[in-house]
Amino acid sequence: MTANSDATAGNSAADGQAAGRREVFQYALRRFGVYLFTLWAAITVAFFIFRLVPGDPMNILLGNLTRAEGRQRDAAAEEAIIARYRQIFGMDEPLPLQYVNYLRKAVLGGLDLGPSFVEYPAQTKDLVFRRMPWTLGIFTTSVLLAWLVGTGLGALIGWLQRSRLSQLAVVISTLLQITPVYLVALGLIIYIGYTWRILPAGGPYARHLQPEWTWEFISSLLTHAILPMLSNMIVIGAGFTLGMRALMISVLGEDYLTFARAKGLSPFTVLKDYAFRNALIPQVTALAIIVGATLNGTFIIEVLFQLPGLGTLFVQAMGLRDFNTMQAVVLFSIFAVLTLTLIVDLALPLLDPRIRRTA
Amino acid sequence: MPALLEICGLTAGLQSRRAITPVVSNVDLDVQPGEILGVVGESGCGKSTLAAAIMRLLVTPQVLQSGSATLRIDDDKAYDLLNLSENDLRQLRWRHLSYIPQGSMNSLNPVLRVERQMTDALLQRGLSKKEASDRAIAALELVSLEARLLDSYPHELSGGMRQRVIIAAAVSMHPTLIVADEITTALDVVTQRQILQELAAIRDELGATIIIITHDMGVVAQIADRVAVMYAGEIVEVGSVSDIFQQPLHPYSQGLIASIPRESGQRVEGLPGEAPSPWNYPAGCRFHPRCPKVFGRCREHAPASQPQGPDRWVACHLYDQETASDD
Repeated sequence: MTANSDATAGNSAADGQAAGRREVFQYALRRFGVYLFTLWAAITVAFFIFRLVPGDPMNILLGNLTRAEGRQRDAAAEEAIIARYRQIFGMDEPLPLQYVNYLRKAVLGGLDLGPSFVEYPAQTKDLVFRRMPWTLGIFTTSVLLAWLVGTGLGALIGWLQRSRLSQLAVVISTLLQITPVYLVALGLIIYIGYTWRILPAGGPYARHLQPEWTWEFISSLLTHAILPMLSNMIVIGAGFTLGMRALMISVLGEDYLTFARAKGLSPFTVLKDYAFRNALIPQVTALAIIVGATLNGTFIIEVLFQLPGLGTLFVQAMGLRDFNTMQAVVLFSIFAVLTLTLIVDLALPLLDPRIRRTA
Repeated sequence: MPALLEICGLTAGLQSRRAITPVVSNVDLDVQPGEILGVVGESGCGKSTLAAAIMRLLVTPQVLQSGSATLRIDDDKAYDLLNLSENDLRQLRWRHLSYIPQGSMNSLNPVLRVERQMTDALLQRGLSKKEASDRAIAALELVSLEARLLDSYPHELSGGMRQRVIIAAAVSMHPTLIVADEITTALDVVTQRQILQELAAIRDELGATIIIITHDMGVVAQIADRVAVMYAGEIVEVGSVSDIFQQPLHPYSQGLIASIPRESGQRVEGLPGEAPSPWNYPAGCRFHPRCPKVFGRCREHAPASQPQGPDRWVACHLYDQETASDD
């Protein structure tokens, strides 16, 4: 059958379609296997790496407690408290056993990731779920918008590669792309937020409001989201613009473009069906890669704009060496990135018929 | 009968920052209605640039410098292809002027089905979906391909099939003039032969006129009615296939004919040296450094193209005396 499907010429059309569908299915299955493996590998690495960071969470926790209570230190009592806490957090066992317990609870216990140190006795899971919408909202929206704008703009300046305006656009995008995201964010905060006071420069929404389904709250939420998203979009969008421009220029040199022009197709059809369509495929792959590479930028942006997302939670947890919370943040970020990447990967065969065979 | 296509003084080159390096110099060529004209020459002699210039498909840094190419359709309409506006030219393409490109491997868009690529140009010319797909199927039949190939993607086809699909696409509107650039290169000999036969059949059935560009004298011998021999960007000899093969006049044509392998055991004579690149075309006759019959005048003066009997032209100083005596 395999040999037969290779010689497509000798196949009936129905056979070919069935084989095609099976290939798509196998491709999806393989992608899903990789997805699960990556998730496991990420959580394992996170588990061990965070425990290598110097500083015992118990000591830090205790130090904070004593400072808050203002009491004298009592060595025996401290020992007892630490032993008790270690038990609660499951840290009195050897490391390999802790790891196995952690995985077991996470998988079989319905995502039980243990209690958080940061807001004990709140569950880490609840903490992360409460913070995640902020991060995902800002991150996905800004990356997708940046991709759409960058792809359109890049296609345009690639198509008009010799015009002055498009050469200027290349210079500007290059400058923006190499600027670190926090500098862009700081620039926006300083000029738009404070000097010109055009948009709010920090916080999730206006201080006097409560989260509710009113127009006032929602509009406040949106205006507060503009600057953080813009910082992300400017840097990522510039990268997408440059990438798409390069792809367009290389596609414009292909033989099939000359043939398309020889057919007498309208310039718009040549641009749409032959140049843009083909340059889009690597650009979609670029989206999948960028999704993973720019989440950390969003964490920095959250801290700079004081948004209650995973980034600020992670910084808090870091200060306390809150292993459980740090691991949960990593787990959920990886989960989000992998899911977005998987969606992109599964969309690729729809765009590129060659992938169904070679992947 | 007036020529279908009359090329006059076509000069095209490569644009660099400072100057234009000529690749094709001052080409004059007539193409008669219904004939197959072979343009033959070594790699890098400018044949493909000539084809692209006629088709107005030059890409930077290639530029057209001067010349005209007049296409006469239905006796009363004449269009100068080289000076027509892009929009007017687009109306002629595929209906009257078709192009079968070199490098068939990449001339089809890898992500679009064959049907889409064969019919998109037809749909833009106002054909209905049904008419367009009927025409595509009819065109595939001309090159002995089955209609179900329309559902395939290019990577599912063999090299020969892809080249046939391209030919079918190019002839689907029954064009007046077809320019075929190295269409049998990179194909095996058997497929080559079949494709050439199909092309000849297309000429007979559709009454098309074909310019076939090739480096292969064998291809010319097999399919062409007339031959134009090109060397270093110039046409050095034009004549009917039988004239050129039986009695080549230009020393370069003689060398080309001598280098065709004949019977086994007989040694093939090659031309000494290599073709010059456009950056260092020799002064005088461009062939003189390789010419076995070179003499004084060749090194200083470029020979002009002169008639040698009916429908026979040659650009060589060896035949100068006759013109001189004519004067």
